[in-house]
Amino acid sequence: MEKNFVIAGFGGQGVLLAGEVLANAFMIDNKNVTWYPSYGAEMRGGTVNCEVVMSDDEVSSVNKRETDFIIVLNQASFDKFENKVKKGGYLIVNTSLAEKKQNRADIHYVFAPISEMAEKLGNVKMANMLALGLLLKASGLLSVDILEKALDMVLPPHRKNLLPLNKNAMEIGYKYDLFALNC
Amino acid sequence: MVECLTGKKVLMKGNYAIANAAVIAGCDCYFGYPITPQSEIGEFMSGKMQELGRAYVSAESELAAINMCIGACSTGKKAMTSSSSCAISLMQEGLSYATSDELPIVLISVMRGGPGLGNIFPSQGDYNQATIGGGDGDYKLIVLSPSNVQEAIDLTYKTFYLAHKYRNPAMLLADGLLGQMMEPVEFGKYPYAEIDNSSWALSGAKGRNPRIIRSYSPTEGPQCEHIRHLFDKYKQLEENEVMYEELYTDDADLLVLSFGSLSRNVKAAIKQLRDQGMKIGFFRPITLFPFPNKRLNELSRKVKKFLTIEVNMGQMVRDVRLAVNGNVPVEFYGKPVGSWPSVEDLQTAIERAMI
Repeated sequence: MEKNFVIAGFGGQGVLLAGEVLANAFMIDNKNVTWYPSYGAEMRGGTVNCEVVMSDDEVSSVNKRETDFIIVLNQASFDKFENKVKKGGYLIVNTSLAEKKQNRADIHYVFAPISEMAEKLGNVKMANMLALGLLLKASGLLSVDILEKALDMVLPPHRKNLLPLNKNAMEIGYKYDLFALNC
Repeated sequence: MVECLTGKKVLMKGNYAIANAAVIAGCDCYFGYPITPQSEIGEFMSGKMQELGRAYVSAESELAAINMCIGACSTGKKAMTSSSSCAISLMQEGLSYATSDELPIVLISVMRGGPGLGNIFPSQGDYNQATIGGGDGDYKLIVLSPSNVQEAIDLTYKTFYLAHKYRNPAMLLADGLLGQMMEPVEFGKYPYAEIDNSSWALSGAKGRNPRIIRSYSPTEGPQCEHIRHLFDKYKQLEENEVMYEELYTDDADLLVLSFGSLSRNVKAAIKQLRDQGMKIGFFRPITLFPFPNKRLNELSRKVKKFLTIEVNMGQMVRDVRLAVNGNVPVEFYGKPVGSWPSVEDLQTAIERAMI
């Protein structure tokens, strides 16, 4: 089995970090995994994304034409990636910063006000970890436990104090009723 | 800052992994000038080398960096530099000198787009630069080409080993994709024996006759002899150090070749086509010099056709054609620069070659 994930948003929303945490989680789960950042002349405030590919076998490629799971944290990313979701795949949309719109009938949409939920928790910067919780629920591929371990591995020592709040964010994302707002 | 871990799995970017492996391989001196997409190597070295009391110099240019390597290697130290495409061009003179001087410089080349300044996207356009080179005279670099981050580590160790074993500059030819991607890796200890250089290093002449290392020979005879000596080493390399990966070659009608990280996309495409019953084999040279001529020639007697796939306009394909020496047709599929062709595109290209 090989599955790929794209996380996209503004520079500064923690998109690359979220990808790194996800990739570490797959590593802990003994999968093969590759993380690859969007690449080019990027700038703060511009759009940024990264792709994570997990596989039971050797990871075959990155920059895939279609993606199983995509998180879009802003409107620009929604516009860019809606068409890249594989048929039957998932698009997880941060409705705080992107319109709640469904232009396709052949994919699953998950709408959640990710930024607002993170802000309520205490810091909008946790939107990325909250989104990972949502992704985990949608994909059913990993447990929150492993994700929390992965975050612990990625955070440098002087940032470990942020661990409890971010774990909380992941759990809130994981417990979110994915399709409640969808009908 | 990443630590020198051994025996522990860690998710790491290709560039950091290569740099960390070089440190474990015992690199004494790093000289370099930043360029995307390999700048993380210099960044890592700037901290780690100082921490370990080894030498790090942020050179004023690539020209300076390669010549600093010549100086350091002459004294018997393990020296390396790293760079990309247009900046490796600037090192060609130094590499020719180092080859003639028989100095084991380790060079990491992380390919980006060319020619000229090109762009910072991945590419395989420097196959010729690596294997043929732009320096003067008869010389060869040892060139190793990894396909994933773990192999980049293993081959960094091997690059150090072969450079010192054969006293010849050796290059690890990676690409921007490999440099920027993160994958789980394990380092382990440097697996090769240290090579004794006490017979030639300029380590101070106290108590022994002075030595000289130079590429200049004013008379014909000794120069001919010197070049023959270099080519004896290249012959030994071809006999003893060739590395490649092959799959499904037993029953293949078509053999598809590719090098570096692109070969993973190619392999995935072949696996899917084989599931449909198509008899396709896969071949990946790991050492680009010495090139697996002998094995390819053997395979050209069993297979009906070769297809070489590269992200350039056709560079390795020339070596493949030389290796098969007209036994089978050798076709080419590629694109100049940028993201690797998708597995789907490659399937189409390979299917077309089957006809």
